Amino acid sequence: MVSAFEFVPAIAVLPLVSFVVALAFGKWMPKKGALAGIFATVGSLLISIWTALTVAGFLGSETVYHAELWRFATGIGTFNLHLGVFVDPLSSLMLLIVSLISVLVFIFSLGYMNDEDETGLPRYYASLSLFSFSMLAFVFADNILMAFMFFELVGLCSFLLIGFWFREDAPPSAAKKAFLVTRFGDFFFLIGVVGIFATFGTGLFATEAGFPHMAEQAITGEMPGPVGEFLSAVGMGAQQWFTILGLLVLGGVVGKSAQFPLHTWLPDAMEGPTPVSALIHAATMVAAGVYLVARMYGFYLLTPTTLAIIALIGGFTALFAATMGVVKQELKQVLAYSTISQYGYMMLALGSGGYVAAVFHLTTHAVFKALLFLGAGSVIIAMHHNENMWDMGGLKEKMPVTYWTFLSGSLALAGIVPFAGFWSKDEVLYEALIHGLGSPVLLVAWAMGLLAVFLTGFYTFRMVFLTFHGEPRSDTAEDPESVRWNVKLPLGVLGVLAATIGFINMVPVAKLTGLKIDFLHKWLVGGEVLNAEFLTGLEHYEPILKEVAGIKASYIAGGEIPTLLISAALSLGLALAGVGLAYRLYAVPEPVAHTKKLGGLRTLLMHNYYQDEYQVWLAQGVTLPLARAADTFDQGIIDGVVNGISSVSLFSGDRVRRIQTGVVSNYAALLTIGLALLLIVFGIVGGWF
Amino acid sequence: MIPLQTSNTLPDWAALAPAIILAVTALALFLIDSIDPNDESPSMLAGVATLGSVLAMVVTGWYLVAGTGMPRTGGAIELFSGQLVVDGMSLFFTFIFTSVTALVCVASYDYLSGRPNQAEYYALVLLAATGMSVMASANSLATAFVALELSSLPSYGLVAYLKNDRGSVEAGLKYFLIGAVSSAVLAYGISLVYASAGVLELAAIAEALGAGIDNTGVLGVGILMVAGGFAFKTASVPFHFWAPEAYEGAPAPVSGFLSSASKAAGFVLAFRVFVTAFPLDVVAGTIDWALAFTVLALVTMTLGNFAAATQDKVKRMLAYSSIGHAGYALIGIAVLTGTADQSYALGASMLHLFVYGFMNTGAFLFVALVEYWGVGRTFEDYNGLAKQAPVACFAMTIFLFSLAGLPIGGGALSKWALLSATASAATLSAYLLAAALIVNSALSLFYYSRVVKAMWIEDPAGDFEVSSYPTGLYAAVVGAAIVTFLLLPAFGVVSGTAFDAAAALF
Amino acid sequence: MVPAEYYLLLSAAMFCIGLFGILTRRNALLFLMSVELMLNAASINLVAFSLQWGNLTGQVFTLFLMALAAAEVAIGIGIILVLYRNFADIDVTKPTTMRW
Repeated sequence: MVSAFEFVPAIAVLPLVSFVVALAFGKWMPKKGALAGIFATVGSLLISIWTALTVAGFLGSETVYHAELWRFATGIGTFNLHLGVFVDPLSSLMLLIVSLISVLVFIFSLGYMNDEDETGLPRYYASLSLFSFSMLAFVFADNILMAFMFFELVGLCSFLLIGFWFREDAPPSAAKKAFLVTRFGDFFFLIGVVGIFATFGTGLFATEAGFPHMAEQAITGEMPGPVGEFLSAVGMGAQQWFTILGLLVLGGVVGKSAQFPLHTWLPDAMEGPTPVSALIHAATMVAAGVYLVARMYGFYLLTPTTLAIIALIGGFTALFAATMGVVKQELKQVLAYSTISQYGYMMLALGSGGYVAAVFHLTTHAVFKALLFLGAGSVIIAMHHNENMWDMGGLKEKMPVTYWTFLSGSLALAGIVPFAGFWSKDEVLYEALIHGLGSPVLLVAWAMGLLAVFLTGFYTFRMVFLTFHGEPRSDTAEDPESVRWNVKLPLGVLGVLAATIGFINMVPVAKLTGLKIDFLHKWLVGGEVLNAEFLTGLEHYEPILKEVAGIKASYIAGGEIPTLLISAALSLGLALAGVGLAYRLYAVPEPVAHTKKLGGLRTLLMHNYYQDEYQVWLAQGVTLPLARAADTFDQGIIDGVVNGISSVSLFSGDRVRRIQTGVVSNYAALLTIGLALLLIVFGIVGGWF
Repeated sequence: MIPLQTSNTLPDWAALAPAIILAVTALALFLIDSIDPNDESPSMLAGVATLGSVLAMVVTGWYLVAGTGMPRTGGAIELFSGQLVVDGMSLFFTFIFTSVTALVCVASYDYLSGRPNQAEYYALVLLAATGMSVMASANSLATAFVALELSSLPSYGLVAYLKNDRGSVEAGLKYFLIGAVSSAVLAYGISLVYASAGVLELAAIAEALGAGIDNTGVLGVGILMVAGGFAFKTASVPFHFWAPEAYEGAPAPVSGFLSSASKAAGFVLAFRVFVTAFPLDVVAGTIDWALAFTVLALVTMTLGNFAAATQDKVKRMLAYSSIGHAGYALIGIAVLTGTADQSYALGASMLHLFVYGFMNTGAFLFVALVEYWGVGRTFEDYNGLAKQAPVACFAMTIFLFSLAGLPIGGGALSKWALLSATASAATLSAYLLAAALIVNSALSLFYYSRVVKAMWIEDPAGDFEVSSYPTGLYAAVVGAAIVTFLLLPAFGVVSGTAFDAAAALF
Repeated sequence: MVPAEYYLLLSAAMFCIGLFGILTRRNALLFLMSVELMLNAASINLVAFSLQWGNLTGQVFTLFLMALAAAEVAIGIGIILVLYRNFADIDVTKPTTMRW
């Protein structure tokens, strides 16, 4: 029987083919290249499903796959550059997610782009295909250099797509910002990659020849020869040096996954077409960062400092972005901040040793965030591209499919039982809590994450109520444009998934009832081969987590189950409180108009007056200054540093070129001086005189 | 099947066939011109020149595949009692020269249309190429000097070819004057080396120096001056001053020719002379030339890139970036110390020059195309060009991103090879070089992408129409783009040859 | 026999005179002549050490050097000629249309 693994490269190659087809022939194709993309991504999805089934062990005994596809350049020792495929439970799950979201985004684009008669569609579909290709290839990369190459390609595609409407003012500058800020992070990543190659002589993620394993050996006992030589040349201890390497790579992660302080590009990136936002946020670019940490988790586990920093960044970003999401006017802006916040949770989970929780949240988030963006896209079509929530309202009756699916996604985002987000977010917080009890840093990160739950519930439902409930607040909201099947189908699929995908890992239920229904956990634990040979299974990670990273679980209230219940109750309670507050403030027919009609219905108005006061206080007294401070920080410090570096380069470049005076006699003189300097210096060094 | 082994079937002198073909073609061009001194029909001249260079390229490629002069077929072929040598390295570089020459000849057909003295132009290009291929084979300082002059003298003429254009003449003058000074420095350096060693053959110099060095001062000054002479050819600091002007003022195909092929020729000479004649362990007490090249590499790449970042004219930006790339290529010879895998380091530089030969020539030929259309020279003049000529602009995008080191062409991989060479050296200076390479590449992406942005994103300033699509220039640009791109997947094929060729030198 | 150091000093002095000429002369022809001086300094070394080492390599190379110098002058005169046509002067510091 043919193994699915033989076809894994095709998962990425199919979108690449559709990229070429859309670029070359898109103009003459019936849907301007969309069909090519849909066929290609459906093909990728089918192969991904097949691959996942194989990894699950349903189709034969071989469940992990590693192969070298193409060798570019043979280097010294293992120091070579190749493209390779590595399929394990983590990458096969991610392949599945990415190809699924890609298919749905392509279908949705038919409604969002083709039906709206956009121009430049072949370019759009070509970039979208390239985007899927780069992400898929990034996912199955078997070494960090290949990962870096596709990581960069993902960044380039996002640049092309965010700036798709390049004739307007905002999109090109947003695209540039996204590209520059993420590249700023990637710069550190590149240095990290070079460092990893220099230290270990290899960039492989898995197997005993891979760098995580060599690093583990270097720390736990027998030092591999070359690593030892390198460390003594650098003059640092293994742990210290690995921490530096880990942090350098983390620079790229922070940039791509829009974590504080490099998150600034993401809200601006909303200038791109909405389906692109869905793809960027749910499955590709932003997910790439977190995925990378998960991919080389075996390496990060070795450096507790890095883990703590990851957890802190994650927790802080989760809270920080959530506070900003509270005051945004535009639908997509709210979603943008929620993305930043949710990826913060994943980082929190990774940093606090919750590998499964992070992957779980990555999975559920991919589904519900794609859903929310596509839902927002549907609303935007209906509203003729007006994104201001205060102009909406009452869309519930006009567009039921969008409403119900969006509601499903929102419940998932807010973390309301039993929707997907509840299970995963609960697990993230639970892991952070039990590991944080022994470590104050993690506990702080956990507390920030917990606080963000409340805000998440609040802003999510503020968005839902303002958009769909109440009375229409503008003419377009009175009579929204209808959407077609190509919008409703992706929404329907994702709506169902958002409600149900959490069932793949119902840890609390599993713990309470003793049923073995924590499928994702078992999936990531992996088979014997994975843990013994490829060293990327959970069974391999857990001992390192305890022994090297020193992160151990402890419980409150007398044991595992009470802790679990307390944690679940806390997060659910806070989420419900947030939703409740949003309900009280915004689930009224005309949330804003009341302030203007203060002379009318007195009692109700008084009531509403207090609400408005409260809201104004919340917005202006607390959150706005916070948000403003954050904004100042972004604009002043971070952009300032980036701009500063470039202007220093340009200034010194300008000085340098002034040497070139244009007078040939001066050149002869400078040449003589240069040669004389060399002669003197080397004469003194060499002792010629 | 008959094995492709020239040593069994061909006489030794046939190993020089590429150089001979180039020289004969140049002479044939003079002959054609003297029989029919009519510039009205240049297709004959361009055709003969292209044919000659392609033939030389094919022969070189065949030799490379067959393994002429390589260890597997009996080692380097020495000719004229060791004055010239044909081995993997000389053939590898000859392949660069001949392919660049072919591209330039094809492109010049359109670029020169309507200009006088075309036969001389093509003949000079081929003579310079002959000089370069002899430089690659030079095994003695005497032949090295003669070959270097053979490639330089026609180049001066080529730069000043547009003799009614002030820019071209000024460029020619500056190139010539700096070149004359540099060759005098080189000659004086050679004379000092001769004073110390008493011989001029490279291997014999190493042997004589190994027996004992009398006066380290004389030898040290001599070696540094020889390095200076080569630095002129490679446009490295402090002998780079001619380069921005010469590349800017010269006809664009000539700029491409000089900045790719001529630079590579300087490098092959430097590699061979320093590795064979002045091995580091022999001259260790006199001069640490690896350190000298490290300093030159650092200064060269930084100066080139920083100056390029602030240019207003695309051609001048490319000129400075060409200086920056000379700095990158110097890495290979700068890290030949310590624990470095020496043949890997040298091979990495060779690979960078190989890839550079295509991507840089292509970029300059695109500039030639733009000059042909009569579009201005600044970045703003390139605005919106992609709407008129998407294919050429796409090719240019590949060149520029590959030059910057993005994985869209072979440039990414050759920079990678250079980086891994520095990593294997694992010395402080090597890490410094690696850091400089990365920082400069990041900076270069900034100014290269300015061109890409102008072409694709900006709206055209004036209403200009691209009137014609010259076949020759397009063929050359697209051909170079295809090779640049193909070098990404096919890098492994080329790199094997390069590493083997470099290994044979040690 | 004259000690080798004397020849070295002579050639070094000549080289420096040539270099001085290059740095101070603005006339293109004088610039060229100064270069010739530098080349001749190299020739002195080669010839002197040819005698010193007892082989002919240096002397033969000097012949090459002279031929090349002649070729270089030929090219140089050509360029100086077009320089005069375009700039109406042979001052090497005049052409500065391209700089920075």
